[in-house]
Amino acid sequence: MPVAKNSYMYEMIRTELTDAIGAEYVCTCDDDRLGHSIDYYWIPEMWHDRGMETPKPDFIVHPGSAEDVSKIMKIANQYHIPVTPWGGGSGSQGGALPVYEGIILDTKRMNRIVRIDKQALTVTCQTGIIARHLEWQCNKQGVSTMHLPASIACATIGGFLAHRGTGVLSTKYGKIEDMVMSLEVVTPTGEIIRTLPVPRHASGPDLTMLFLGSEGTLGVITEVTLKIHPMPEAREFRAYVFPDFHTAMSAGAELMRSRLQPCAMRLYDETETLTYVSRVFGKTLDKGAYLVFGFDGKKDIVDLQMKYARQIMEEQFHGEDYGSQGGMDWWKNKYKFFYPGFMFHIPQAFGTLDTVATFSDIENVYWAMKNTVRENFPQARFIGHFSHWYEWGCMLYARFIFEEKDVPKDPREAAALYNRVWDLAIRAAIANGGVINEHHGVGLKLGRYMKDLYGPAMPVLEGIKKQFDPNNIMNPGKMGFKGL
Amino acid sequence: MNIEKYPDAVRNCRFCFMCRHLSAVGNVTFTEADTPRIRAAMIYGAMLHPEWWRNPEYIDMLYRSDLSRNCTRHCVNHYDENALNIAARTDIVEMGLAPEAVKALRDELAATESWQTAGRGGVLYFIDPYTAEAKTDEVFAAVMKKAGKEYAAIRGGCIGRALEVLGYAPDAKQALEKFAAAVGQTGAKTLVVSNPAAYEMLKNGPARFGVGFPVTVMHTSEYLLTLDLAVVRPAGGLYYLESDYLRNYNELPFPHELLKKLGAEERHFGADRDWLGVPDQQESFTCGEGAVVLPKLYPELVKKLAAYVEKQADDPENDRIVVASPYTKLVLKKYTALRAETLEETVLAAL
Repeated sequence: MPVAKNSYMYEMIRTELTDAIGAEYVCTCDDDRLGHSIDYYWIPEMWHDRGMETPKPDFIVHPGSAEDVSKIMKIANQYHIPVTPWGGGSGSQGGALPVYEGIILDTKRMNRIVRIDKQALTVTCQTGIIARHLEWQCNKQGVSTMHLPASIACATIGGFLAHRGTGVLSTKYGKIEDMVMSLEVVTPTGEIIRTLPVPRHASGPDLTMLFLGSEGTLGVITEVTLKIHPMPEAREFRAYVFPDFHTAMSAGAELMRSRLQPCAMRLYDETETLTYVSRVFGKTLDKGAYLVFGFDGKKDIVDLQMKYARQIMEEQFHGEDYGSQGGMDWWKNKYKFFYPGFMFHIPQAFGTLDTVATFSDIENVYWAMKNTVRENFPQARFIGHFSHWYEWGCMLYARFIFEEKDVPKDPREAAALYNRVWDLAIRAAIANGGVINEHHGVGLKLGRYMKDLYGPAMPVLEGIKKQFDPNNIMNPGKMGFKGL
Repeated sequence: MNIEKYPDAVRNCRFCFMCRHLSAVGNVTFTEADTPRIRAAMIYGAMLHPEWWRNPEYIDMLYRSDLSRNCTRHCVNHYDENALNIAARTDIVEMGLAPEAVKALRDELAATESWQTAGRGGVLYFIDPYTAEAKTDEVFAAVMKKAGKEYAAIRGGCIGRALEVLGYAPDAKQALEKFAAAVGQTGAKTLVVSNPAAYEMLKNGPARFGVGFPVTVMHTSEYLLTLDLAVVRPAGGLYYLESDYLRNYNELPFPHELLKKLGAEERHFGADRDWLGVPDQQESFTCGEGAVVLPKLYPELVKKLAAYVEKQADDPENDRIVVASPYTKLVLKKYTALRAETLEETVLAAL
């Protein structure tokens, strides 16, 4: 439970935390409390924008090791204080918000690279390292994690592990869960455990996977070993514009079914091509759906794969070829989409309704979500692109946007409108074979749909949570788990 | 209020994470508050809740910033959170809410003005306290002697940048005016400056404050490029640490051009890359050059910034590190094992 700041209990707990990890690493300052009260979720941003008080932690701790984390867990268990892990704070789902106050466990001090193993091609690091910093250090050694999401500059590796993040090269190199070899985890009761050193085995169930996507509800991931890759000799992109989104989707799906191995592929629907891609590229794309893909690796293999991919795009689906320059425009500008001025921003209301489904279902999911938004919120815009492609289907990164004039001034009414969009759109996705999220996680925003998604399997997850965290101190109220 | 001049930075930086990895102070304190995002969010909050200005912890957060301006350089729209921060500090001072340590430092800076000149010639060299402490003026003198050039020098006070970053805009303007008058009396045509912070104030401060400035201002690197220097010992392999003021505030190409002229083979310091993976010094490795007087207010923080720089070196005890800023050299010498030298020293060694 929260501890009143003017009580002597507060001072007693602060003393214990200080004794455990050092005074320098226990903060109760208002500036840092403010810093941990707003993440990238629209609701706290809007709350702050409207001058409302955002929930703040009582204590912010900066552990430097698994041992420090263990000590913090034991203290938190002793006093039944909620602990919310915080990496870069750039999550869009409210997963790191201290909604019940208590302790924010900021992992960023745990930023050490333990080892780059060039024989096994793995890197072992603490999880508080900002992903961009890890990638830079790997690049300096001539290797790459190949995990290059738009949030690479601000999110920590732990954040990606906690909510199963995905980078732009996912089609070849996988989501973060495909990149993990093993984990070190501090459980809610303070035990430091390690999962098996390799991800492929027949030695019982996969404990590593249990923690990936657990969003700080089952413990704190303190160290990880990730696969790394040599820097590719060549990486080339090519873009096509198709008359409509359906044709472009068919071409993209065919490329995946061909079992060629693109490193990335992205398809923008007609609306997003017209309104967004054009603006970011500074070029006019006034009709159709823009599809870009690329290959990387040995130059001659890249060329060969590109040759077959072009046959699919041009001979089978008659795409208008925008050439390699059209593809490189995307690669060079891929992060620009997320900077202010290009990214949607308060006072707009906006959200990413990302989901994933098989090729059999994905277009139905798209139309179900789009029609739901269009019919129920005619004042909103709906745009979508398909970011991450797998052998069996792809991810839909759909967004709704309300302009300032259509967003209620009252923050409670604004929140109600916002939540209603999610209620209807997410349920439409689930009903058509989608899931509630592909790479942003569940957090606070989507927790209430977990029962819809998992049905009778939800008590299994709840049982696991209870087993790991008997006092319910770890990130309570998130991922559909019980609050305080 | 002064902060109202920067609505774009307030509205956009407050919810943006895209330069988080470049926050020099944030990367050593690990606190969320030490980022442009939270500084802007706090300033926005204070616009709605003026009582926030009275919270010393919020004020402290603003004064801790290194003001390197690499966030602005990185941002695709170049929103200027540094300028917003300085505007907020100015508002804090105008409200009478400056911390005691800041007030004391202001008094110290304002009391030092007593301009003295020595030497003769159309070129005037400015010696600020950091330039003097690092003995960069002596090195410059040796270079000029080798080049057979006469020059005059001026020293003896604060030209206003330190006062400006602390939030004392009128004092900064007054200091600049006095310096302009002193320079005017020398009859010099060109003012050469080694310290990048001073360069910024003298190059752009006159327009910012509406002060007439009687001479052409050149950074040492620009000026030395105009001389016919005979390089007898090519500089060879070295690492150049970008200056906040020369690069992020002014985009000056001259340090690199000078190093090239000296026969230097520049190596990439640190590990940072641009969006396409090309080595590019995006981080600030100046140890707080942008904030000018950070060691006076936050010496422990400066020590951490220096340790961070040392950690980036390939071979800390043997790498040859060249900096433009005498300030950065002094900090690195004090707190690390790095072999740091100024551009002027690199020039002298090559002649």
